[in-house]
Amino acid sequence: MDASPGILIEGARRVWRYQRVLWWIFVVNLVLAIFSSLPLVARLSRFAGNGFEMERFAKGFDLASFLALIGNPEAAFFGGATSSFVLAFLFLLFMLFVTGGFLEAYRQDRKLSAAEFFHYSGAFFWRWVRLLIFLLIVLVPISLAASALDNWDLKLWSDAPQEKLGFWVMLCGLLLLLLVLMAVRLWFDMAQVRAVAEQEFAMRKTLFRAFRLTWNNFASLFWLYFRISFLAWFVLIFWLALWLHLSGAHMGRKFLAFQIVLLWWIGTRLWQRASETVWYERWTETQAVVAPVPAPVPAVPALPAI
Amino acid sequence: MLHTPRRKNPLRALPVLIVSLAAPALAQNAAPSALLVPGPLSQRVVAYQIDARLDTEKKTIDAIETLTYHNLTGQPQDTFPFHLYLNAFQPKSTFMREVRTGNAEFQWEDKYRASEEIKSFEVAGQGDLTAQLHFISPDDANPDDRTVVQVKLPRPLAPGDSVQFKIAFHDQMGQVFARTGYKRDFFMGAQWFPKVGVWWQGAWNCHQFHDDTEFFADFGTFDVRLTLPQNEVVGASGVEVASVNNSDGTKTVTFHGEDIHDFAWTADPEFRVAEDYFNGSAGRVKIRLLIQSSHADQTARHLRIVQETMRRFNDWYGPYPYAQITVVDPPHGALRAGGMEYPTLFTADTTWWMPEGIHFVEFVAEHEFGHQYWYGMVATNEFENAWLDEGINSYSETKVLDDIYGPDRSMIDYWGVTLGEPGYQRLSYLSAADRDPIARFGYQYLNSGSYGGITYGKTATVLLTLEKIIGEDTLRRALRTYFMRYRFTHPTQEDFLKTIEEVSGQNLRWYFDPAVYGTAILDYEILSAASDRSDWYVKNPPKAKDGETLYRTNVVVHRKGDFIFPVDVVIKFDNGEIVREHWDGRDRWVRFSYDRKAKLVSAQLDPDRAIWLDRNFFNNSYVKDGPPEGQHKLVHYWQVWYEFLSQMLAWLA
Repeated sequence: MDASPGILIEGARRVWRYQRVLWWIFVVNLVLAIFSSLPLVARLSRFAGNGFEMERFAKGFDLASFLALIGNPEAAFFGGATSSFVLAFLFLLFMLFVTGGFLEAYRQDRKLSAAEFFHYSGAFFWRWVRLLIFLLIVLVPISLAASALDNWDLKLWSDAPQEKLGFWVMLCGLLLLLLVLMAVRLWFDMAQVRAVAEQEFAMRKTLFRAFRLTWNNFASLFWLYFRISFLAWFVLIFWLALWLHLSGAHMGRKFLAFQIVLLWWIGTRLWQRASETVWYERWTETQAVVAPVPAPVPAVPALPAI
Repeated sequence: MLHTPRRKNPLRALPVLIVSLAAPALAQNAAPSALLVPGPLSQRVVAYQIDARLDTEKKTIDAIETLTYHNLTGQPQDTFPFHLYLNAFQPKSTFMREVRTGNAEFQWEDKYRASEEIKSFEVAGQGDLTAQLHFISPDDANPDDRTVVQVKLPRPLAPGDSVQFKIAFHDQMGQVFARTGYKRDFFMGAQWFPKVGVWWQGAWNCHQFHDDTEFFADFGTFDVRLTLPQNEVVGASGVEVASVNNSDGTKTVTFHGEDIHDFAWTADPEFRVAEDYFNGSAGRVKIRLLIQSSHADQTARHLRIVQETMRRFNDWYGPYPYAQITVVDPPHGALRAGGMEYPTLFTADTTWWMPEGIHFVEFVAEHEFGHQYWYGMVATNEFENAWLDEGINSYSETKVLDDIYGPDRSMIDYWGVTLGEPGYQRLSYLSAADRDPIARFGYQYLNSGSYGGITYGKTATVLLTLEKIIGEDTLRRALRTYFMRYRFTHPTQEDFLKTIEEVSGQNLRWYFDPAVYGTAILDYEILSAASDRSDWYVKNPPKAKDGETLYRTNVVVHRKGDFIFPVDVVIKFDNGEIVREHWDGRDRWVRFSYDRKAKLVSAQLDPDRAIWLDRNFFNNSYVKDGPPEGQHKLVHYWQVWYEFLSQMLAWLA
């Protein structure tokens, strides 16, 4: 089945219609980010206050002062890194939790009440945890491939007859890994969409079915994901250019610009999920239309559910 | 004008004078001169003639070395040690043992193996002494180290006499591990021939080759004939005086160097040659750049920084008397041969991607050219006093690069990120601040990190801080005096320190002792600063009015470290008044108190930011209601990092 533009538009429409999900995710992320930076604020105030040395960061960015700051044990600049990792992990758990809720909203294409949303969120949470474990297993060979690429590239940087060969191999290798990761995510997203649509409990089974489905329709599904990802990365690069352009005196604007980018990133991720839900809906409808009418069979006792 | 300090008897100078006067006429038909001025400029203890053949397939060198040694030690000599540096690249050598000690992850690979084998050793008039050769390990008694070999002559060499050694040797080059070797078609011939030790301070100075140390040798002349394939582009110390194509597809290139103490060469068919000139006070110097074809777009950058550096060294410290400087750009994968100095030749360091705003090309080229002065001409002992070449050179690097690119951005000025040379050197120092004293032998440092941080970074930082005591101009004059007085000799660290004291007219032992010979840390801080109403004891005091209410302001300055240094403190009040205090810094703390009808705005230690040795600049000031932008920016960066992290993790959901 082709991923027609209609799917993208319909996916975007559903994200827009149930945008409360988007805002909630954004706000939770922002609040956690603020929490993650609070220890730093306290440490900086205690260590450097608003002394003259801090002015070296106000206009431009003095690398020597920054490295001296982070290298000073009294400053303990990275003292809050552990808590930040914990907060980021909490955000991961939050996303695992709400995924069932928003996928159900996209599937039913209607606004869920808070009770319904949390009901579906809770109902799918442990299933997503199991899927996460499978995903981590799948990521192991990819990590090994990345490590092998790194080792190979290191050798090329030193030993290849052409100086730039190492760079191009690394660039192409990273792009390839990125595409592989996108494909893996596509597969696991399909498993989630299917699990919600079929109210599936068996995650290994749904993962296997999702793999077959993704494999058989890879081109159209991947093209769907790729376009949305491209938009996400494009905006990120645009932000980077803007960020570099804005001087240190425009911290408020920089902060705002980055939050807009994050909103866009979260939005594009939801857009991928919504589009895949729409795609699955239409695929199911297609299957119903083309499925042959089964020949009448003699009545037999019903088989137990598998 | 050149100064040759050891030529005291005018009659002794007569032959030199005659040769000097005749030199311009002779030069019409003679080979190119290695010097721009009449020589000799040094005592010329040694004269090396080497006839070498490079086998580019086997990566070997077979050579005959004829070394004439002049005994200027003032006493008979019957024992001569020689460096065989290439033998360091063997797994049991002291060098490799130290590499492994410094990095437990290091794995030996046989491609690094190199060797330097003496096939025969004859002494003119005394016969073949090959059997007399034996390895010694004066530094660590490692029986497996073969980097120093010694011979005892049957008849001692009388003071003032000369002896001629004829040495046949065979080098097996390894892949570049440190400074020397090959990589694909590139060859760097450094530390490649048996080199006699230096009689210095009443004894032979001939250390083994160590991971963290460099070299030490006597001045002399070098005449080197290199035979190698015709497609090789060759560069070397000194100047090329002849090149002849041979019938077997090879060519023989002859180089001549005077008043230098080492000889290095390089060959690579991939080199592109670019030439330029620098007009210095000693004459016109040819700059010969051998650059990789993949870096050809950086040719102008290399030539420009060499010229800019030469101009400043010429103006600030003294003339460059050699006819040529050769700059070598090693290929990718051979960067361990990069960033290294040899007399009249140095290796640079770059990659195909090096934006203009990252002054890495300039940083390396400037540093290595600087060594032509601080090592090449002022030939200090790099084994024992590495700071005298690396450290002084790092200091002059800060001055040159700051002068070219401006302070605070002389290393990096790219995408809003800036890094200045003094800040970089200070960071290097901070990485190992109290590990080793500067004046420690190079191979006795804790590790490579400490060696680098102290020898380069701390010395530069000590000299930058010294500017605050004696002034930048005075220090520059002291360096010029030091250079002009000690060029073409082997001065000691005390020679350097005494020269600074002499030129500045100050006894600076109070500073040099902790800074050079000690490991004390310098750190002063504003411990507290506050204004308090003088009528604090009055219940329900009247509302404070600007310019009318009296305050008592206390500022406490604390010496956190053991390094004692005088400091200035600037205190600002909200009526615009500024008070500048000076404290000798001896006690642990000092309190400055003021009764003013104004409140404190800020208190700042070292307001000129001149005490670069201060370990922590962040505790040097207190600003009431200071601008928060800097802090906001760092917090914003932290949030950006965190939110990216959270998004990456959320991708798993």
